[in-house]
Amino acid sequence: MNVIALLILAGGLVAGGFLLAFVWAVRGGQFDDTTTPAVRVLLDDGPAPSHSEDPPDVHVR
Amino acid sequence: MYRLLDGHGLTAYYAGGVGLSQRDVGQRDPGRFAAFDDPLVTARLVHVVGDVARVTLQTPALHCASCLWLLEQLWKVEPGVRRVDASLFRRTVTVEYLPTETTLRRIAEQLAALGYEPVIDAEPIADRVPAVRRRLYLQLGVAGFAFGNMMLFSIPRYVNGGPLEPEFQRLFDMLNVAFALPVLLYAAADYFRAAARSIRARAITLDVPIAIGLAALFSRSLFEIISRTGEGFLDSFAGLVFFLLIGKLFQQKAFDHVSFDRTARSFLPLSIRRVTTDGTSLVPIESLAPGDVILVRAHEIVPADAVLTSESGHIDYAFVTGEQDPVSVTHGTVIQAGGRVVGGSLTMTVARATAHSHLARLWTDPVFSTPKLHWLDAILARFGRAFTVSALVLAALGAFAWWPDARMSVTVATAVLIIACPCAFTLAAPLTLGTAMGALGRAGVYVRNPAVILDLSRVTSAVFDKTGTLTTGARVAQEHVNTLTPVQRDLVRRLATQSIHPISRVLAGDDVDGTGVTDVREFTGEGLEGRVDGRRVALGNASFIARLSGRLIGVDDAAVWAWVDGDAPVPIRLASIERPGVSATVRTLASRMSTWLISGDHPREADRWAALFGDRMRFRLSPLDKLSAVRGLQEQGNRVLMVGDGLNDAGALAAADVGIAVSDDTACLVPTCDAVLAGARLAELDHIVGYARRARWVISLCFTVSLAYNAVGLGLALTGRLTPLATAILMPVSSLTIVALSVGLMRRLPLSEVTR
Repeated sequence: MNVIALLILAGGLVAGGFLLAFVWAVRGGQFDDTTTPAVRVLLDDGPAPSHSEDPPDVHVR
Repeated sequence: MYRLLDGHGLTAYYAGGVGLSQRDVGQRDPGRFAAFDDPLVTARLVHVVGDVARVTLQTPALHCASCLWLLEQLWKVEPGVRRVDASLFRRTVTVEYLPTETTLRRIAEQLAALGYEPVIDAEPIADRVPAVRRRLYLQLGVAGFAFGNMMLFSIPRYVNGGPLEPEFQRLFDMLNVAFALPVLLYAAADYFRAAARSIRARAITLDVPIAIGLAALFSRSLFEIISRTGEGFLDSFAGLVFFLLIGKLFQQKAFDHVSFDRTARSFLPLSIRRVTTDGTSLVPIESLAPGDVILVRAHEIVPADAVLTSESGHIDYAFVTGEQDPVSVTHGTVIQAGGRVVGGSLTMTVARATAHSHLARLWTDPVFSTPKLHWLDAILARFGRAFTVSALVLAALGAFAWWPDARMSVTVATAVLIIACPCAFTLAAPLTLGTAMGALGRAGVYVRNPAVILDLSRVTSAVFDKTGTLTTGARVAQEHVNTLTPVQRDLVRRLATQSIHPISRVLAGDDVDGTGVTDVREFTGEGLEGRVDGRRVALGNASFIARLSGRLIGVDDAAVWAWVDGDAPVPIRLASIERPGVSATVRTLASRMSTWLISGDHPREADRWAALFGDRMRFRLSPLDKLSAVRGLQEQGNRVLMVGDGLNDAGALAAADVGIAVSDDTACLVPTCDAVLAGARLAELDHIVGYARRARWVISLCFTVSLAYNAVGLGLALTGRLTPLATAILMPVSSLTIVALSVGLMRRLPLSEVTR
């Protein structure tokens, strides 16, 4: 019985910790826009400035 | 654009291979963002905290990862920009900048230079989504947390097949109650509130049976636990709330998209140049009073009804009336608000303030202030009543049948109320329609809200506008190829290069230069005359050409005539370009519903469209005529789909059961409507309607399935055999079936049809 009570307490604490983390994340605005960050994470930081004279022939319309 | 990017080391943009098409930046007036210099406008749009100003602008062109990347590098292009946050789903850019180093106008201009023309709007973008959304996520989190933990405490008993040892059972029951309380008081609170509201309004919605079911679940469980007669249904209670909230989240996500609500105001510029004796200054259009002299430049929109004081000019009313040809105006002509100046700038005297303009008057029609009644709301209300009444009746019957066994009577009655809770029902519509809305959005069809899809599935008439909808704004001189000789054609086109009149621009095309053209004289409102390679050539209206050529001109409704000295005058007709695939889609739709054409334009092109619409065509309709045309169809019992584009269709779009606006410049100038369709997607309208019908079929299927589950549950409830275990299985399983059916069917089956 004591072991069970201990386990329940430990489990509840862990789960409660996650709940608090979730609350913190929602309050912090992490769930406000779920589309953009998913795309942004795939973008690299740009390479160093290039100074080629000729524009590449793609997509300059 | 490349130079701008390369100069700041942003060429990686091109490496992505996605790119975006350069929009017709060249045509726009470089001074169009001048309004952003206006301190009044700035004060409304910009939040200043300390040294940093923060502004959120709508950029409808924002659509992909490359866009996002490029926009968020704005700080490299424009010094003074501190931070840029672009949002793909709201299509907005939030910029933090130092007002000491740059201005709102500079930022707007840089965004436009990058290809992301911000919407010029004096109203700040409402940021109301997060508060509601955050609350819902938190409720979902609490319900999910409680649900998971309560399952842990309930499963031992289910596995054991009977009550556990008293001390464990006691502990677990108490823990369940502890976890259930926040679910009742926080996570499910909105359902009770909504139910109370709907009872007060005497309109029973589905929230009422939900609230009754939740209340029955909780109170009976609490009673069983306190009286030590059972373990209650608290795990099912938390699970139920959890699933209900998931459905609600789906429903809300569908509302994320940009708001389409626009009034006449949003079509007009923010400010205009007012000419006084002290010079010219920009003033907000609200401050215009009759008698003010204003200067409207090429491509700008006339902000108020005004009288022309310039000698002459051209006004393009295409957006306001649907008329294709620009109208010539001369000194003293009254120009209506909403017309676009073509050619050179014009000065005019304001005749009526903007709010009283002809254009604004259309907005006083009640159709703009009454919200549309969606069929979904109607059926949900009907089901809400049916569910509530039948649940209460069945519960009473059950209680009566078990009387005088009071304990069983209560057990059966509460069990009926619990099982009749229409959870699966409430999931079906939001999930199906939300999924459909997402799929449509990816295919370039932006629906205002999910209920529109159901309305679209039920339309019996499709009404189309012509100019800008079935046709693109562009036109070709279709028939002059046949009527002019090659020599004449060459001469006429070279002459046409010398004029900025829109018809001349169409005739000249892009590939002709005006070499060899001399002695050009333009007669505003009449035509153009000159010598090409020494021969006299003229272009203009019938009377002008008749006078010059000295020949009688036969009866012909052509707008323009050409004449080359020594030859007979030749009529030239201009034809608008039909959007590709439009005929096919109209023909397919015609097999399922009646199709109509209503246009503000001349019946000149009637023959061409007769093949498609027969005699179901109306021309020269004013915006109000269009509105009554749609109402007329509705009075005959039709459910009308209106497809239009301009302000002239705004009334018809608002009155129709479903109004779809066709837009080449997404979300830029869209009147009141239920959906926005990219121009290129109009050809798929038949698929879109088909997809909407599929969504309706999926919802009916889900309703049938959930009714079947309810019937099984009711059987158990009425015979007094609805155990907590049966509930704990039945409820999640029925909800999950609905989730799988609605999302699965909408995702898999017809997407190919829409994106084809």
